[in-house]
Amino acid sequence: MKTVLVVDDEKHIRELYRSELEDEGYGVVLAESGKEALEVVDQHPPDLIVLDIQMPGMDGIETLEKLLGQDRGIPIILNTAYSHYKDDFTTWGADAYVVKSSDMSKLKAEIKRLLGE
Amino acid sequence: MNLRKAMKDTLCILMAGGKGERLYPLTKVRAKPSVRFAGIYRIIDFTLSNCLNSDIRTLYVLTQYRSLSLERHIRLGWNIFNHELGEFIECIPPQQRNVDRWYRGTADSIYQNIYILQRVRPQRVLILSGDHVYRMNYNDMLAQHMETNADLTVAGVEVPRSQASAFGVIGSDEEMRIVTWEEKPKDPKPVPGNPDSSFVSMGVYIFNTDVLVKRVIADAKNHASSHDFGKDVVPGMLNTHRVYVHSFVDATDPSSRYWRDIGTIDAYWEANMDLCSEAPQCNLYDKSWPIRTYQEQVPPARVVAAPMCREQTTATVSVDSLIAGGCIVNGSTVVRSVLSHNVRVGEGAVVEESVVLDGVQIGRNAHVKKAIIDDDVVVPEGFTIGVNPEEDRKRFTISPGGVIVVPRGIRLD
Repeated sequence: MKTVLVVDDEKHIRELYRSELEDEGYGVVLAESGKEALEVVDQHPPDLIVLDIQMPGMDGIETLEKLLGQDRGIPIILNTAYSHYKDDFTTWGADAYVVKSSDMSKLKAEIKRLLGE
Repeated sequence: MNLRKAMKDTLCILMAGGKGERLYPLTKVRAKPSVRFAGIYRIIDFTLSNCLNSDIRTLYVLTQYRSLSLERHIRLGWNIFNHELGEFIECIPPQQRNVDRWYRGTADSIYQNIYILQRVRPQRVLILSGDHVYRMNYNDMLAQHMETNADLTVAGVEVPRSQASAFGVIGSDEEMRIVTWEEKPKDPKPVPGNPDSSFVSMGVYIFNTDVLVKRVIADAKNHASSHDFGKDVVPGMLNTHRVYVHSFVDATDPSSRYWRDIGTIDAYWEANMDLCSEAPQCNLYDKSWPIRTYQEQVPPARVVAAPMCREQTTATVSVDSLIAGGCIVNGSTVVRSVLSHNVRVGEGAVVEESVVLDGVQIGRNAHVKKAIIDDDVVVPEGFTIGVNPEEDRKRFTISPGGVIVVPRGIRLD
């Protein structure tokens, strides 16, 4: 079973994603901050990471930079309520950029694509 | 097309982070771009002067190894840009912002500094190297880049085919679009119609910024890559992007294409010797393209006849040479040589085909031939360098071309 790490500071988003992605047949691991995400990746590298940008402490862009620097080759989807980060070069290292929406089909499609399913 | 505006929207990044191993021992204590050249300059001054003369005033210098003397030189000599007008020159050592490593290659040095591109948001990036001697107007290259609507333009120059194996060899079509690229080939392709020369990359690039960012990110993720522009990034773009070559000509002399990569001891020595020739191809005296540097205050060079020579017709002979301020050449012979600041050449000494760096003292009746003598070395009275090959081999580094390097700090007895 493929594992997806969901990084988001908002609890209801984490829980929503857990239930939606588990229904799709993925194992889901949660982290509420960039720092916690790096610890999870270090101990149990997931197959894919869904990463929020605006979070207290280490934000999603810094977390992305650190993950890319580790060079693990884990696909990363930036998932944020805002579209303006798309123009920020530092986000271009992510494999996909999906704006948050109540309709999760775009996010699920990107996850499928990046996991080669 | 408004070229002035186009240049304003172009950020210059000068890569000065190489180890310079092939220029050892001159690079033992300093980065290659800050190695002294032509008596009073540092190698990097040529590229920086090209920028200034091309009206480029937004410059980052990426440093890495042994950067102290380089950063000091830029602070003292190049702190001439006005921040209030949006101009700057700044040295950036590796920030290790997103990685815990040094630069893996030229492309990686840009990858590790993507946040700078994000901060400045230029339309284009001009990427230069700090170890070339040439006089180039980058506006000509930018104009072509705009006219051809290129994603990437690479500057190219013809070099003798025998030397082309050290570079990326370019093949282009009639519109100057690059169709083949062989990085450091054993058997370089000749230029059509001239079997003795090849067209090579000068390591000068103009990238559209979005293309550059995408390519260096893709390169950073590619485990098979060596993260080098010439080896990995540019060849990988030929089929997917508009990649053009700009044929270099000297900034003010259209008949000259003088460009030298000061990568090795032999290249360094030869480029210095080029300046001693009767009509040097690299004109340091052209006021329309000044080469700027930092110099400390020194008295004028003094060339005097020794007392013993005064009554003879063979007074001090100094010919085909560059002599920097502060030198005293006293009743000696200096031929085809470059003397940096504050060199002393004693009575009866002979200096031939040599590059003598700051503060060197050459004793009476010493003989120095085809050598590079690093800062502050004292050559004792009657000592010979470059005259007795067997003795030299025991003491010094000798280049493949037979140039002897006398390193800083050595004691000669």
